[in-house]
Amino acid sequence: MPDTLAALRAVVGPPHAWLAAAGDAVDGVAPRFVAAPGSAEEVASTLRLADEAGLTVVPRGAGTKLAWGAPPTRADIVVSTRRLDAVLEHAAGDLVVRAQAGVPLEALQAQLAPASQWLALDPPEPGASLGGVVATAASGPRRQRYGTARDLLIGVSVVLADGTLAKAGGKVVKNVAGYDLCKLFTGSFGTLGVIVETTFRLHPRPVGRCLVVADLDTSRALGEAVRSLLQTALVPSALELLATTESGAAGRLAVLFEGVPAGAVAQAQSAERLLARHGRSRIVQEPSLDAEWRVMTEAIGDGGVRLKLSGIVGRVPEMIDAVRAVARQHDLRFRIAGQAGLGVLGARLESPDEAVLSEVVPELRRRLGPRAHVVIRHAPPRVKRAVDVWGDPGDALPLMTRVKQRFDPHGTLSPGRFVGGL
Amino acid sequence: MAPAFDAHHPPDPHLIDDCVHCGFCLPACPTYLLWGEEMDSPRGRIHLMKQGHEGAPLSAVFARHFDLCLGCLGCVTACPSGVRYGQLLEATRQQVERRHPRSLADRGFRWALFSVLPYPGRLRWARAALRACARLGLLALARSRGLARLLPARASALLALLPEPRRPEPLATSVPAAGPERHRVALLSGCVQQAFFSHVNAATARVLAAEGCAVAVPARQGCCGALSLHAGREAEAQALARRLIEAFEAQEYDAVVVNSAGCGSAMKDYGRLLGDDPEYAARSARFAAKVRDLAEWLVEIGPRAPRRPLPISVAYHDACHLSHGQGIRRQPRELLGAIPELELREVSEAEICCGSAGIFNLVEPQAGRELGDRKAAHLLASGAQAIISANPGCLLQVRAGLERAVGSLPLFHLAEILDASIRGRPVPVSPSRATRV
Amino acid sequence: MARQLAAIVGQGGVVADLEARRTYESDALVRHRAIPGLVVLPETLEQVRAIVTLCHQRGVPFVARGAGTGLSAGALPVEDGVLIVLSRMRRILDVDVENQRVVVEPGVTNLAVTHAVGGQGYYYAPDPSSQVVCTVGGNVAENSGGAHCLKYGFTTHHVLGLEVVLPDGSLVHLGGEALDTPGYDLVGAFVGSEGTLGIATKITLRILRRPERVETLLASFESTDAAGEAVSAVIGAGIVPAAVEMMDALSIQATEAAVHPGYPAGAGAILIVELDGPAAEVAAQFEEVERLCRAVGCREIRIARDDVERALLWKGRRSAFAAMARVSPNYYVQDGVIPRTALPRVLRRIAELAAAAGLRVANVFHAGDGNLHPLVLYDAGEGETERAEELAGRILEICLEHGGSITGEHGVGADKKAAMPKMFLAADLHAMNLLRCAFDPAGLCNPGKLFPTPRLCGERPGPGRPHPLEQAGLGSVF
Repeated sequence: MPDTLAALRAVVGPPHAWLAAAGDAVDGVAPRFVAAPGSAEEVASTLRLADEAGLTVVPRGAGTKLAWGAPPTRADIVVSTRRLDAVLEHAAGDLVVRAQAGVPLEALQAQLAPASQWLALDPPEPGASLGGVVATAASGPRRQRYGTARDLLIGVSVVLADGTLAKAGGKVVKNVAGYDLCKLFTGSFGTLGVIVETTFRLHPRPVGRCLVVADLDTSRALGEAVRSLLQTALVPSALELLATTESGAAGRLAVLFEGVPAGAVAQAQSAERLLARHGRSRIVQEPSLDAEWRVMTEAIGDGGVRLKLSGIVGRVPEMIDAVRAVARQHDLRFRIAGQAGLGVLGARLESPDEAVLSEVVPELRRRLGPRAHVVIRHAPPRVKRAVDVWGDPGDALPLMTRVKQRFDPHGTLSPGRFVGGL
Repeated sequence: MAPAFDAHHPPDPHLIDDCVHCGFCLPACPTYLLWGEEMDSPRGRIHLMKQGHEGAPLSAVFARHFDLCLGCLGCVTACPSGVRYGQLLEATRQQVERRHPRSLADRGFRWALFSVLPYPGRLRWARAALRACARLGLLALARSRGLARLLPARASALLALLPEPRRPEPLATSVPAAGPERHRVALLSGCVQQAFFSHVNAATARVLAAEGCAVAVPARQGCCGALSLHAGREAEAQALARRLIEAFEAQEYDAVVVNSAGCGSAMKDYGRLLGDDPEYAARSARFAAKVRDLAEWLVEIGPRAPRRPLPISVAYHDACHLSHGQGIRRQPRELLGAIPELELREVSEAEICCGSAGIFNLVEPQAGRELGDRKAAHLLASGAQAIISANPGCLLQVRAGLERAVGSLPLFHLAEILDASIRGRPVPVSPSRATRV
Repeated sequence: MARQLAAIVGQGGVVADLEARRTYESDALVRHRAIPGLVVLPETLEQVRAIVTLCHQRGVPFVARGAGTGLSAGALPVEDGVLIVLSRMRRILDVDVENQRVVVEPGVTNLAVTHAVGGQGYYYAPDPSSQVVCTVGGNVAENSGGAHCLKYGFTTHHVLGLEVVLPDGSLVHLGGEALDTPGYDLVGAFVGSEGTLGIATKITLRILRRPERVETLLASFESTDAAGEAVSAVIGAGIVPAAVEMMDALSIQATEAAVHPGYPAGAGAILIVELDGPAAEVAAQFEEVERLCRAVGCREIRIARDDVERALLWKGRRSAFAAMARVSPNYYVQDGVIPRTALPRVLRRIAELAAAAGLRVANVFHAGDGNLHPLVLYDAGEGETERAEELAGRILEICLEHGGSITGEHGVGADKKAAMPKMFLAADLHAMNLLRCAFDPAGLCNPGKLFPTPRLCGERPGPGRPHPLEQAGLGSVF
């Protein structure tokens, strides 16, 4: 053990490697060391060291999503990207930015703001790093219009399990040279490599916004409202829903329009009239907009079981009803929020009786069937032990396993965190 | 085996080079739509020609893929580089016809077809025979399901495509203009047209007359040679062309009006067909410059006769040799659009050939049938009450396809519709009283 | 082998005659040719699986082909290998407008997808110029773009799920109808893999609602520099047009001669700018675009008043490549990408190089995203072919010098595989090879494409464990 620490310190510098403490646990699994390399080359050397020593590595950005996924089967070294915090290049004229993986998303947005540009990602987890957002494919309401990290990442540098530093993509949006490894690494949960540098395409910051909020009495009405909205030529930046134990059978929709101020207002008026046919709708302008928006999109809260549900848009009412039914059945409090226009929802269910929580996910999966996905984000350890966190990936698992084996033959990187125990 | 091309009019390598292999012609090609194979696409056929120039032999495979080309020229319309596929095909076809040995059965069948089709007199005998058979109920018997299946494919196709024999309508040798004479035109009476669609010729003459044209129908017209030309029977086509030019040279006309798309297309090409002939080169070019399709001519001179309403919905079927071959699409639609209360429906896949393509549906019955069925389905789907076409071959092919689709729609030539509108006669569109073509 | 294939697809599905096989020897890039050993045209998934399994068992390399309209020799056959043509798998299997999804077989043409949903006010966004003939399977392989990808992205942004026959004949389902399928984004890895990872047999596509309003203008400028300035101004104003196309003087001339779209005579450059979206937004932004163009000093602005005029504006741009055939006996279409802000510098460099080589280069490109299509004009009859190829290669190098890419749309295929090491380091290509080996360890699926030299899939790739073949000097591991 002292050898390893010394070796780590030799690579990253003495102050930047230490013995792990309680707070460094990865979803309940205690690592032995933490190292914070200061450059891509140091990350590479760290991984080479780990590989040769037969140790496992879990990458960590800001640690906001370490509890997502399954707990790693082993976590010897936590490699922190905290010190990779430089925004390397902002080509405003090209709407492209290149930044190291440890840069917090919020810090990046602040740097881009003076040029009236932004990275069109708005995941709710505060403090997240760019690398973490990419590795977990975290997303937020704006994905309705702009897509996710998968659609915005145009270049990436990754350190592979054996310490090789490899790049994919480039600095230009239009690029089909070679395999699109940017997509492969997005959402790979640190199991294929450690992301050290990211290049994103940017968008102009919208100038004006207008919000429409509608309260619907049933999930069916909500589904019809969403459907009729999607059939128009309106282009919302976000189409969020919220349903809680308190709201009973009802749910709320918030439709955000951004762009040229006159355009945003015109669209909002159209949407408001449309939604009035399904429920009670109203337009919200500044200065109340922020507050109302926050209510809809704030982080889903702590405790209980936090899930991600995804299904085809038409099944959103069914998904809401399934959560409601399970909650009622087991006397749970629930909160459902997410992208109603895309069929991607977050749900949190809590109960004083933890044992009951282990019933929730299998029950939901049974109700929703194989073509919808129920994935556990956060849950108490016993729940994660009792239930398959990710769900059945279908017949692609052997192929995914082969991909993992090629990129990480020794199982160095985040073993066990991902689908199928990868 | 001998190389594919000899020195007599091989497909021009310069024209072949115009092809950049982009593939835009593929979705326009009926055989590519049917089979999805490169060698039965224009791009693939051009490639075969190129192979021929590089020394590949005129093999059975080579010849087959050219036999399978409909010659519809849909690819010419689609090609962004302006490749003159029509010329390349004709050149290749005549090489194949001259130099590729066909089977006895194949030769026999083609001989039989070309012994009758280009001869108006013989066609009239055939018409009389058909009428007799019809009266004796033999035609219906032969067409009944069981018997048709017993016949070889080509014979059965021929049977399905036979026109309904009806009493011929006489056509005068000259028809004066109604009212002040604006133009003097000659009318091609055609072969199949005058034998089996004489009522179309009569209608054509009436329409022209109504529009102020004095119409002359030169006696002793023969065949224009289109079928022969498009089948690669070059010498035969040239002989027929010479005869036709002679027949029309007797007088001066402002135009030679043609109501059959295939014929008009071939006649406009006479300058090239007889370009090698010192005696006919200039004459054929002069003649060709006067050829006009009926729709083209009527729009060119402008309408004069008032149109009476025809409250029917029609679908206009573009004959390939009119739309692709002569670029005439707008004029027929303009003429139909000018008829009050007439509703014109567009048809899906309008650019794709109905499968008639000269004698294609006779020598390639399977493919002809598939294309005919496809076209019939689209025509029925348009919901129109009647189909208008400008080509006798198309009319026969489409009728056969509609019959197989167990649907039935009245079919008319454009001239008949215009005639009805000008004369204020109704057009029978109800199936039970339909004028069968 | 021919007999066994005929047993799978029937006699009519196998092409064995030499003349017929030769018609498949290239895609739209005719300078690369290879005659396939056999051509087979399956009609069902089961047939595709059986064919691939057979090839895998016999160790026979195979290449998949759609309509053969690619411009990078991606469908170039392997000599003596099998060419699997997907043109007969052309059914549209499911149209679900409400959930904005369409499922198609790979042989369906790009435009056919839009036609299937057009009646209901939807369309399929990626619109390569060859969309009337190119197939969705080919689009997936090449990650095809089109004029509107500045705003709408390319094929990879519109593929939700794939059914894939892997190179060993096994079947997998990637992605699906729901978003965010757990697991690696293998759909994203497969799209753009140029047919080297398997054959897609069902493709789930995302369709979009047609925008409320479309406005298109054509602006002519004294020079490409000025036009470029206008583009920068528009982007700088926070406007993301649906499309921004630029044509230089030579391409304007050629296009005018060929198709007569009525482009302004004597213009140094023209821009076609198209905005689409909600009416109020488009109206406001369009006014701004017009203002910015005038501020930069454009000579003339024409605004399309209806769809017919819009089609005419675009007609010239879409026919630009073919139009070159009218001003030059031969031309070489290059495809490279540069950061948009580097446009003036790069165009100047291209002009310098062209002058030095004694050749003309016409420039047509997607000005919005920096994707250039320099058209190198030459006369093969005058022996200029080699010089033209060299110039085209140098242009690619310039793109790389400015931080761009060797291909924005056409793909690497066989044509640009030698240029891959100029853009990527050995380590980068190694990472790509890891992916390929996971899908195709036997190296039978469209081999000879993408990577410069044959790469082995050693049991334990990476440094430290020399592969026996490497030790024998017969191969190298990257």
